[in-house]
Amino acid sequence: MGKKKNVTASGIEIRKKPLGLRIWNHRGYYLMFLPVLIFLLIFNYWPMLGVRYALYDYKPVGEPVFVGFKHFEKMFSTTAFWTAFRNTLELSIVKLILSTFASVIVSIFLNEMGNLMAKKTLQTIIYLPHFMSWAVVASIFSLFLSPSSTGMVNGMLKEWGILAKDQMGIYFLADQGYWRPIYYVINLWKDTGWGTIIFLATLSGINPELYEAGDIDGATRLQKMRYITLPALGNTIITVLILNLAKVMNLFESVFVLYNNAVYSVADVCATYIYRQTFAMALPNYGYSTAVGLFRSMVGCVLVLVCNWASKKTRGRGII
Amino acid sequence: MKKKVLSLLLASAMVVSLAACGGSEEPASSNAGSSNSGTESNAGSSDNAGSSDAAEEFKLEKVTMVVNGTLTATVDNGQADFEKQWEDAVGVDLEIKQLDHSGYVDAVGRLFASQDYPDVIIMSADMYAQYAPTGLLWDMTEAYENADFQERMTLPAINEALKKDGKLYGFAPTYGNGCVTYVKKAWLDAVGIDASTVTDYDSYYAMLKAFHDGDPDGNGTNGDTYGVVAAGFLGNEAPYINYLPEFWQDAYPAILQDANGVWYDGFNTQETKDALLRIRQAYVDGAIDPESLTASTKIAREKWFSNDQTGSSGVFTYWAGSWYQTLTDNLIKNEVNEELVQLPPIAEVAEIGGYLNREAPVWVIIDDGDGDNTREQAVFDAFIETMMDGDVVQTLWTYGAEDVHWSTKAEEFVTNPGTDKEKTYSYEEGKFHLKQSPNDPNSVWKKNHLDPALVISPLTNGFKATGDLADAGNKFFTENCIDAPLSPASETYTNSTGDIYDAKMQVVTQVVKEGMDVDTAMQTLYVDVVGATIEQCLAELNG
Repeated sequence: MGKKKNVTASGIEIRKKPLGLRIWNHRGYYLMFLPVLIFLLIFNYWPMLGVRYALYDYKPVGEPVFVGFKHFEKMFSTTAFWTAFRNTLELSIVKLILSTFASVIVSIFLNEMGNLMAKKTLQTIIYLPHFMSWAVVASIFSLFLSPSSTGMVNGMLKEWGILAKDQMGIYFLADQGYWRPIYYVINLWKDTGWGTIIFLATLSGINPELYEAGDIDGATRLQKMRYITLPALGNTIITVLILNLAKVMNLFESVFVLYNNAVYSVADVCATYIYRQTFAMALPNYGYSTAVGLFRSMVGCVLVLVCNWASKKTRGRGII
Repeated sequence: MKKKVLSLLLASAMVVSLAACGGSEEPASSNAGSSNSGTESNAGSSDNAGSSDAAEEFKLEKVTMVVNGTLTATVDNGQADFEKQWEDAVGVDLEIKQLDHSGYVDAVGRLFASQDYPDVIIMSADMYAQYAPTGLLWDMTEAYENADFQERMTLPAINEALKKDGKLYGFAPTYGNGCVTYVKKAWLDAVGIDASTVTDYDSYYAMLKAFHDGDPDGNGTNGDTYGVVAAGFLGNEAPYINYLPEFWQDAYPAILQDANGVWYDGFNTQETKDALLRIRQAYVDGAIDPESLTASTKIAREKWFSNDQTGSSGVFTYWAGSWYQTLTDNLIKNEVNEELVQLPPIAEVAEIGGYLNREAPVWVIIDDGDGDNTREQAVFDAFIETMMDGDVVQTLWTYGAEDVHWSTKAEEFVTNPGTDKEKTYSYEEGKFHLKQSPNDPNSVWKKNHLDPALVISPLTNGFKATGDLADAGNKFFTENCIDAPLSPASETYTNSTGDIYDAKMQVVTQVVKEGMDVDTAMQTLYVDVVGATIEQCLAELNG
C-alpha cells in the first residue's frame, strides 16, 4: 500500500515540510508546551516507575528484594482483598446510578420552578454541601447518628415511639445493614446539588419552541417532561454515567471517614484496604500495597477503555 | 503523523526517565543517617569503635531528631527556646522534626523509605520490636553500659528488658506508664456507692449499671448516661487491653510468651472468649458506652469530661500520673465536678498483678552502616547521655526552657483572671516553679518530654514541680502495676500485623455488637482467616 498523500480538491499534491522545520516554525507553541511536558514527566510518569515495587519486598529499611508475583499470589488468596474489591464496585456503581438519577430529578424540578428567586435560593442551598470537606460531613453525621443518648436520630426514633425509651439506640454507622444506605444518603445529600449543574445547562439549551409546540398540541406539564425534557437530557445522562464509570475504582475519602472495623465486610474498599496495609503497620511492606494499587489501577484502566468504547458507540466519539 | 510524533516523544521521555530513575537508585539502608547528620568525621577508621575516646575524636556538629507528640514543647509552645537552650548547653546544633502523633508510625515509614534518616528517633515498643532486627538501629549496648548516668540510675531493669539477644538498640529514659481506672466521685455519691466497696468484677459491674440505670448527672432522666467509655474495645497498640482492664482481666489477646518463654496466641483462648462475653453483656446492658466501639482516645476523653454530662460515663480508664491532673483540669474547665477516685485494681485484675505498665517508648540511634561507631557514639553522648545528666539538659527535657516554661525568679501571675476560677501564683526569688503555658496563659505548664515521676535516673538539682495529683497518680500506679508482656517480632508477624488486627476486630465487633456466638466468630473470622499466618508467626518465634 502506498503512502496516503494530501491533495487539494483540484488534485494538487500538498507536500509537507520536514518535521524539524515545522517544529521550528511553531517553536512558540512547543515552548509553551515544554513546561507542561516536563511537569507531566516528573509528576505523572516518573512516579509510575514505582509500580515495579509490586514485584519486590520493599520495606522502609533495607534494599528492595525481588519476589516475583508473591504479592499478587497473596492478594488473590486474601479474602479481605476480594471483599474490598467487590465493595468498591458495588458502592461506586450504586452511588453513581443513584446520584445521577437524583441529579436528573432535581434538575427537572428546578427547571420547572417559575419563581426565579426561589429557584436560585434552592440551587444555592443544595450546592453548599458539596463545598464541605468529607471530614466535616462525617463528623456531622456521626453526631446525628450517634447510638448514645445524645444522638439526634435515635432520640427522634424514641420520641416517635419507633424505638422503646429504654431500648439501645441503633448504631447506624457500625451496623452492616444500615451502613450502605446511610452512605448513599450522605452522598446524595452532599453531591446531588452539584451534579445538577450539567443537567441544568442542558435543560437551558432546549429549544423553547418545542415546549410551545407541546402547549399548542395540548400537552400537560408531565407530558412535556416525558416527551421533550427527558429525551433532551438522554445524551447528557449517558455522558455523565460513562465519564463517572471510569472513576469507580477511585473511591476512598468518603468511605475512609465514615467506615470503621465493624463494617469492613460491606464498606472496606480497595483504597482503604491499601491504606491500612500501608499506614497501619509498624514496618509496612510497600511491595504488597503497590501490588494491590497496581491491580486497582489496571481495573480502572480497563473500565476507562470500556467507557471509551461505550462512548464511541453511543455518542459517536470517545472520551480519550 | 502527529500521533506518531507524540507517541515517539512520550516513549522517549519514558525511556529517559526510566534511565534517570534506575541510575540514581541507592540501597535503602546504606549510608543511613549520613546525609542528615551534618557531621564530619576526623576519626577515620577507628579501632576503638563504641568507646568514648572514639567519640571524642568525632566532631559532631548537628543532631537531627524525629519525635512524636510526646515533646510537649511544640512549635507554638516554646520549642524554639527549648532548642536554643539545648544547643547552648550541649554545643551541638539540634534540628527537631516533630511529626503528627496519630500518624507517627506511617510518617516514620515514609521518612525511612525516602532515605531521609535522622540521627535519633523515638519509637513505640511495637515499632522498636519490628525495627530492632532490621540492622537500621545502632547497637548501643556498650555506650549504655559505659554511660555516666549508670551510677545514678534507679530503674535499671527498664532498659535491661529492652535488650534483644543481649543487645540494646533503644534507650528508654522513663518507664512505660499505664492506665488506671478513674471514677467520678460525684456520680458515685449520686448513686450511693462507696468506691471502697468496688473490689471485684461484680461490684464494678454493679457500679457501671448504676451509672446507666440511675441519674448520676442529675438531669432528671434515667438511662441517658453510661458506666464506662473507652477508645475501642481492643486497642490497636500494645498493651491492647489497657482501656478496659476490668473486662479483659486475665486475657491478653495478642501473641505473648508463657512462663517458659514459649510464644503462643493469647487471642484464641478461653480467657479472651470470656472477656468478649463480658464486654458483650456490658454493651447490651448499657454499662459501656456503645460508641466505645469506634471512639478514638480524643473522642472518648472529650465525651467523658464534656460540659454536658448527658451521654457521658462515670468511669474512664486512662493514663496515670500527669493525666490525673490533666483530666481534673479539663473537668474544671468544663464546669463539671472534678473530684476523681482512682480505683484500685479489682480482684480479677489484681490477680494478674494489677494495671499493665506498657513497654516503654525508646530513643534509637540510626546506624549509618559504615562499620564505624564513632558518629553513633558521638550522637549517644550528645543526645542520650545529656538527656540523663541530672541537671541542665535533663531539666530541659523534663520541664522545658528556663524562663519560658519554668523559672527560679520571683514572680506572680494570675490564671483565668476575672472569672470564678481566677487563681494567683506567687513565687519568691530562687524558688523553682512552672510558668504559664506559652500558648495558654490560663493554664500552668506541666512538663516537657520526660515525666519526672517516671524517669529512670532522677534530677540531681532538686527541681521538682509536679502537682499533687500527678504525684499521687504516679504513686498509685507504681503501687498497682505489672509489666505488660513483650511484643513479638518475626518476619511473618511484621508482614501480617494489619491482617491479624483486622481479623481480631471482626471477632470483637461481631461478638460484642452483633451478639455472634463467640466460638463461631473465633473460628470463622479469626482461625479460618489468619490461623495459618498465626501458626507461621509462632513457628518463627519459637523456632
